[in-house]
Amino acid sequence: MMDELIAEAQRQLRICNSCRYCEGYCAVFPALERRTVLEAGDVTSLANLCHDCRACLYACMYAPPHEFAVNPPEILSRVRAATYRAYVPPPPWPAWLRGRSARVSAVIGVTAALLVLVALTEGIDALLRHSGPYQVISYPALLVTVLLPSAWSVAVMLRAVARYWNDTHGSLRGLADLAAWRKALIYAARLSYLRGGGGDCYYPGADPSPARRRLHAAVFYGFAACFAATVAAAFMQDILGIPPPYPLLSAPVILGTAGGLGMIAGCAGLFVLARRSDLAAGAALGAIPEQAPEQAPEQARGAADYGLLIGLGLLAATGLLTLLLRATPAYGPVLITHLATIVVCFCIAPYTRFAHSVYRVLAIVADNIEAARPG
Amino acid sequence: MTPSTGAPSSGAKPWDVVIIGGGNAGLVAAITARQHGQRVLVVERAPAAMRGGNTRHTRNIRCVHAGADGFTTGSYLADELWRDLCGVGTGPSNERLAELTVRESETVPGWMSDHGVRWQRPLAGTLQLGRTNHFFLGGGKALVNTYHRTVARMGIAVCYGTTVEDLVMDGDRCRGLVTAGGTIGARALVCASGGFEADLAWLRRYWGDAADNFLIRGSPDNDGRVIAALYRHGAASAGEERGFHAVAIDARSPRFDGGIATRLDSVPFGIVVNSGGRRFYDEGEEIWPKRYAIWGRNITEQPGQIAYSLWDAKVQGLFLPPMYDPAEAGSVGELAGMLGLDPTAVAQTVTDFNAAIRPGGTFDPAVLDDCAATGISPPKSHWAQPIDTPPYYGVPMRPGITFTYMGTAVTEQARVLRTDGTTFGNVFAAGEIMSGNILSTGYLAGFGLTIGSVWGRIAGAEAARHAHDG
Repeated sequence: MMDELIAEAQRQLRICNSCRYCEGYCAVFPALERRTVLEAGDVTSLANLCHDCRACLYACMYAPPHEFAVNPPEILSRVRAATYRAYVPPPPWPAWLRGRSARVSAVIGVTAALLVLVALTEGIDALLRHSGPYQVISYPALLVTVLLPSAWSVAVMLRAVARYWNDTHGSLRGLADLAAWRKALIYAARLSYLRGGGGDCYYPGADPSPARRRLHAAVFYGFAACFAATVAAAFMQDILGIPPPYPLLSAPVILGTAGGLGMIAGCAGLFVLARRSDLAAGAALGAIPEQAPEQAPEQARGAADYGLLIGLGLLAATGLLTLLLRATPAYGPVLITHLATIVVCFCIAPYTRFAHSVYRVLAIVADNIEAARPG
Repeated sequence: MTPSTGAPSSGAKPWDVVIIGGGNAGLVAAITARQHGQRVLVVERAPAAMRGGNTRHTRNIRCVHAGADGFTTGSYLADELWRDLCGVGTGPSNERLAELTVRESETVPGWMSDHGVRWQRPLAGTLQLGRTNHFFLGGGKALVNTYHRTVARMGIAVCYGTTVEDLVMDGDRCRGLVTAGGTIGARALVCASGGFEADLAWLRRYWGDAADNFLIRGSPDNDGRVIAALYRHGAASAGEERGFHAVAIDARSPRFDGGIATRLDSVPFGIVVNSGGRRFYDEGEEIWPKRYAIWGRNITEQPGQIAYSLWDAKVQGLFLPPMYDPAEAGSVGELAGMLGLDPTAVAQTVTDFNAAIRPGGTFDPAVLDDCAATGISPPKSHWAQPIDTPPYYGVPMRPGITFTYMGTAVTEQARVLRTDGTTFGNVFAAGEIMSGNILSTGYLAGFGLTIGSVWGRIAGAEAARHAHDG
């Protein structure tokens, strides 16, 4: 099926390369123009460079119902989804644990397991303490609980990165280009290619809007703030020797609260946009052809989006709840639930749309390397 | 986008200004008429998804500007545009109207920006146009979408999928339009419905059987129905019957609407032969884009309106990649066979051409270089290199008609003239339908949109002014 997707992408992009009207929108079209032959690896790289702003689709006189049926955002999103599947092998847990509802069950299951574990090791009354996390779960146990799944995901992603880079650009040594990385991280952080060349992003519909870019920023910077909150807490505890809980006006609490709220708002907004976009794709656009059911499964743009959004939303929500309820007897169970959510989310991250961030940064790095090459 | 389809009920009071055609000229006219306080309806023949006529296929506009502005590389003054206009074909048809177009073009880019249009730097492969033309971001369909957002915001009505069959005339005034869905009442009319290039039977009147071999690059809706209706009601004609803008496109392109992707850029990099396997025109005569507009007409004059662009491995990849795969072969004879040409004749042509190349030239596709094939008829003035390195490539080409010039004669107020020398009271024209007043035979890249924008503004304003005269 990957071959068919690549072949269709090659057909469409060849028309694009003969037309070139869209080259002002993003990096995909200039990158395409540097090639007279488009190999499978090129298609994969262009697909991951595409940020799905859809400006090109709305500008395309060859979009369906034209007989050339050109729709780059659609075919490239399918190639991207295939990339995610191809470079991260199926998770080692059984299939019945992979669906969306299975993930919810997994959170409940892990919560229960942690509760039992805490009850067995610290005694059942540990769950009812609310004077700080280590009253509930010991510091080493907490570290292990969070670091193990993180290490797992990092290992899975690193393997994927190596294989992806090898297939699309060759030797890993090529990645050692600091200038390309610096630019790529700035472009990614600013979502430069989600700006439609200045006209903004045509998502969820025909009228350009900065909504998606801003909501994405809320999620991304929210997550970053939460991460910073964790680092700040570790600093206060391990370097300054101040044990938690921290006062309301401390760095961990302010960063965590702002980040958590940003993530919840961003995820909710993106969720709403994605639902509207799915409608637009079917109706107003008139441009995205019906997919055959066998081509649709988990790669359907929406489904994968929702998984990541729900996961991040739950992370933020349970995190905020631990803060809100930290002076109540619910603190222990809520903290355990938050930890379980972290465990599950960090375990499954490479298998969700989370992976898009990694491939997209790599694609921008590759594009910067290539664009800087003379000739 | 919530398009209304079908004609608005004729029971309502007539629209102040009705615009036939939803391309650049029509939308500019609609916006202008609305700014003059009129109730405006745009009648678009295409369904919403295909709206915009030939404007969908455009990407740049040629306007007078003093100095570079970030999107053009230098100044382009009225004198120079005027000279360029005089340099194509047989020069402007009506110098007064052409001069007005040049003069008025200066304010067009600013007007476009004011109405939401965004710009980009010139496209790769079109650098020669970077000084004289402004390129709008995303091309013509994006332009049409932008204008439609403005149109919707201003409260201008649009009906899609509506074909105007005839006009309801009352002396020198138009009272309405006849459509399949009923009559649409109008106090003033702007005809911005394009040329007649999509009506092959009409083209056959001037071109004979050759017309059967023409491909139409733009909208299949531009069949000249409105021009014919205007003629029936006494409108005077302007422009040459055989005047059109045509380029060389891949012979395998669809009959209609293939647009920019089907054009071929290979001509100056090799040779072009006709169905007899012979060269017939200097492939290296002029730099792009001037040659671009020459080759469409060149091919119309060849037997069967077909020609073949041939090149070799040396230059493969130096020009925009064609949309369809070229034929590829290890020898010139084999390539000729694949293209259905006589291998001996083509091989002889290539041998003669190679022998005629003046030695010692330095090949440079960016300038008029000193690689020439002389002492052969026709010569190749620039970029002549021996065709001797396999694999060899070839593509069949046909004339791709962009738009016809013949239409209605107009005054400086865009008012449509009648054969008796008088004018209609409330009928105006803008865009391709009146381009024959300005263009005779040749074409200047980006000038079609200039005509549409300048005359769209004039027609929109004049229609608004005269909607309530009688």
